[in-house]
Amino acid sequence: MGERARTAVNRGRVEWTGDNPGIYLKTEAGGDWTALAVSFQITLSPHGRGRAMVVLGSPDEAASYPDAPNLCITDNPPLMHYLIDGFLSKFPTFRGRAGLGAMRFLPLTEILREGSYETRYVETTKSGDTSLALTWGDLGAPFAVEVTPEQSATGEHDMYSLFMEARSGGIAVDGQVLPGEIVQRPFFGTMMSSAFLALSETWVTPNAT
Amino acid sequence: MPIQPAVNPGAIDWSGENPGILLKEDPDGPFSAMALFFRIAYSPAGQGEALLLFEKPTVAESLPAVRNVMISTNKALGHFLADSFIAKLGAFAEAPAFAAMQHVAARSVRSEGDPLDRYAEIIETEDFTVELRWSELSPPIALELPPSLTGPKDRELFTVLVEAGAASILIDGAALPGVPMPRVQAGIETTTAFLYFSETWIVPEAPAA
Repeated sequence: MGERARTAVNRGRVEWTGDNPGIYLKTEAGGDWTALAVSFQITLSPHGRGRAMVVLGSPDEAASYPDAPNLCITDNPPLMHYLIDGFLSKFPTFRGRAGLGAMRFLPLTEILREGSYETRYVETTKSGDTSLALTWGDLGAPFAVEVTPEQSATGEHDMYSLFMEARSGGIAVDGQVLPGEIVQRPFFGTMMSSAFLALSETWVTPNAT
Repeated sequence: MPIQPAVNPGAIDWSGENPGILLKEDPDGPFSAMALFFRIAYSPAGQGEALLLFEKPTVAESLPAVRNVMISTNKALGHFLADSFIAKLGAFAEAPAFAAMQHVAARSVRSEGDPLDRYAEIIETEDFTVELRWSELSPPIALELPPSLTGPKDRELFTVLVEAGAASILIDGAALPGVPMPRVQAGIETTTAFLYFSETWIVPEAPAA
């Protein structure tokens, strides 16, 4: 393959950049998602830097932690509201989920990272005695993705990211593993696990002109 | 803007953050001090932070006389970056300091500030502390460069550039001589003081036999 023709400088507005891994689970392979989780480590945004983990253990229930495992632990609530309103709520997996609007926000007190991206990686986010833990295992080789608004999860942005597929993994709230399994899902013309690391991810609002 | 296919068929070399500062006292003279920082999320040598510091780029000496060093939290990563990446960046590889530099362990690394305002990286060793400071920061720009527009010339690059109008390199609180200079990257008039976030280097797919 020769050098691919590019527009080297994206004249759009950089919205945010950082890491955004996730895990989506189903209890029935042909059914709807039953547990959703994403982690954010944002290095640049209009609301500064920040870290967060969102878990919707009951995505379609308009209830929050501790009544339902729907919660967000973060060190930057304004940043998270920006990310939820402008991005996460527009992702097909999260769109229209009652749990997203109802989830409880808790202040972040600690993040623990164990393992490595070569094999198995565990990220635990704590707010006092409350903990959320995401585990990605059997990690595959990394690959780069670049999409236009027509293809991006929001339908509005250019997006660049580095993905690593995890063939095993899970979500735990306060040490209790949520039910459900990782499944294969369509991914830009191929199939990929619903557990993934997404690193060095950048979202850009295209230039209108 | 992104191009097709959405999934880049190339192999990932490394991904992470890569801010730098190159200073001159005389616009027509050699660089008087150089620093290139790495916070690596993925590489074949694992994760970690590294700082290439040339206190005196024109001097082919290292410790104890001159702080021409590669400081890292992961020695294998420091060697990987020096051998496979920096060796292909002319401004660094052609400096007499490059062949002489020693590898030194970092005791701690931390960032401060916000990349939309003022930003700093602070790297401590057992014997000295280096602080990189960037200010007069411009809005971020997303770049997607073909190999011909990159330093190494043999791989594609996604990155977010934040230009700095002012910057300094300090060792134990003392600023090294020189100021940032103008430079051109991919047709953009920018400076030799820059933040790069969510930077991913991709080795293009080999041509079909």
